[in-house]
Amino acid sequence: MRQIAAGALAAIAAVVLLALSGIAFGHAPGELLSTLISGSIGSSFALHGTIVKSIPLLLTGLSVAIAFRAGVWNIGAEGQFIVGGLACFLAARFGLISSLLASMIAGAAWALIASLLRFWRNAPEVLTTIILNFVGFHLLGYSVNGPLQEARAQYPQTDAVAISLSTSGEVVIALSICIASWFLLYRTKEGLRLRATGFNPFAARWAGVHVNAQIARAMAISGGMAGLAGGIELLGVTHRLFERFAAGYGYSGIAVALLGQLHPLATLLSAVFFGALTTGAGELQRASNISASVATFGQAVVILTLIGLSSRAKRGIP
Amino acid sequence: MKRGAVLLLCFIAACQPTRHPRQATRLFKVGLLTPGSVNDHGWNAIAYEGLLRIQKEFGAEISHQETKTPAEFEEGFRSYGAKGFDLAFGHGFEFQDAALKAGAQYAKTVFITTSGSSVAKNVSPMVFQLEQATYLLGIIAARESKTGRAGVVGGIKLPSIESTFIAFRAGAQSVNPKFEVKEVYTGNFDDLGAARLATLSLINAGCDFIFHQANEAGRGVFQACSERNVRCFGSNKNQNELAPNVILASAVLDMPTAFVYVARIVRDRQFQPHVYWLGMKEGIVSLVWNDRLKSSVAPSTVADVDRVEKQIRSGALQVPRGKF
Repeated sequence: MRQIAAGALAAIAAVVLLALSGIAFGHAPGELLSTLISGSIGSSFALHGTIVKSIPLLLTGLSVAIAFRAGVWNIGAEGQFIVGGLACFLAARFGLISSLLASMIAGAAWALIASLLRFWRNAPEVLTTIILNFVGFHLLGYSVNGPLQEARAQYPQTDAVAISLSTSGEVVIALSICIASWFLLYRTKEGLRLRATGFNPFAARWAGVHVNAQIARAMAISGGMAGLAGGIELLGVTHRLFERFAAGYGYSGIAVALLGQLHPLATLLSAVFFGALTTGAGELQRASNISASVATFGQAVVILTLIGLSSRAKRGIP
Repeated sequence: MKRGAVLLLCFIAACQPTRHPRQATRLFKVGLLTPGSVNDHGWNAIAYEGLLRIQKEFGAEISHQETKTPAEFEEGFRSYGAKGFDLAFGHGFEFQDAALKAGAQYAKTVFITTSGSSVAKNVSPMVFQLEQATYLLGIIAARESKTGRAGVVGGIKLPSIESTFIAFRAGAQSVNPKFEVKEVYTGNFDDLGAARLATLSLINAGCDFIFHQANEAGRGVFQACSERNVRCFGSNKNQNELAPNVILASAVLDMPTAFVYVARIVRDRQFQPHVYWLGMKEGIVSLVWNDRLKSSVAPSTVADVDRVEKQIRSGALQVPRGKF
């Protein structure tokens, strides 16, 4: 209950601070808020924009949440998103299902590299996953400039994929994954072991959990979701790969997961909140020339507020 | 008399707005989508500068959005279409798909992408002909070289980069068919050290003129040329001041003017869907001499460059470029 209150408080704090910051740019806070709201959910057009951006945020958010629940700092959703997109592109000729499966497998494999480095060399995931992001980014850069470049070889991008995914299809997949994550975490033994590992790995080991294998499975699930996000983005939105394909969805997923308090269903609300914030911020910039950075600003406020609230809670301050 | 004057005024007032009743009252609306922050002192900043120039010159209502994710490309374009914008720019080839989709839905808005090749009824790219200026640089190199050899340093081997080298070589060989142009690619646009070493190796191989297309890493080229006192050329921007003792001239691309140029066409309802090739004739591409070093060049070279430049401007000479 307190966690939900903290999340709501952080979201409200972000919106209020955004509105107040409008004063600095010479805009009335009320006008700014109404643009933000109408630009994100005020029309079917805006709503579509919000949904399309919420889907990758939801999946990367779930990815981060599951890893964090297992006590692993998987900062690598961005890289897993990219390799997911790459694998999906390569498997696109085999149809929709195979290409989405390929994106999940690729994302999982990419995340498992970090786990392997943990077991072999005790390398912390927070470092290895972030470095793997750069490796993924450059792998994509090389691919679109070289082997996967469009047939005309004019621009650093691939040709468009032949298959595509409708927005409603995207929604169905993302919501199923969201519910499945909740089921996994709270209704299965696997989820119990996963959470126990994250809560206290030593106690979990005493209770008979094979901690390393548990962490590796959590990383694989986490990476699979981020990879799937990349596949869905490719088939549903971009239809081709280029260097800026991931566009920070992996990193934003961290904010989404934190605001969602690492709970799959709350992560859904959190993803829609950030999707709406980004879409509204776009309209804010088009209509009032306020920098699109307000969306990033909102993310930062949310995270800082949550950190503030959690440290108060730890010190026993209500 | 007075009544006559009033009648006359009424007549004028009645006549005036009927020719373009909507144009006179309606604002020209122009939107711009950039792939990054307009404070980047580079690609996005010059596009925004173009947008501000459009606002100033046409009194246009402008709007800008930094599109951080690909989903926003289409959303931004559609939003401009829905709001009845006359013109929307997407600053990069990656906006082509979004422009085609939004263009099909909003027929009254013209969508322009910076570079690209997709053309539809209300969608066109503007493509720059920097080759016209690099052709002239080739002429200068061939006429002024003592070794009969020049070097070019590229970043990544992109078709657009290769194309400027093709023109450079063609320019040089129009003067001397046996003139040799050695090409080196460093594989990136930001490693100054690699560009410097590549340049030194070209100089050691007997090149006494160096041209680069290495963006940021071009500074490494200028470093090497300054060390060995070998003359070289700037590209894209007027880079003459970066190494005023060795840079003889720059091939310059004036992006803001290109935005104004296209906006004027759309405002005057002269828009036709096709690739807008923008070069010297349109005042977008130019050759800018370094005045400090220009006197060291043979007058006949300057005269020859001026002569060829006129041919290019008039369209009598088609500068060769890469097929892309």
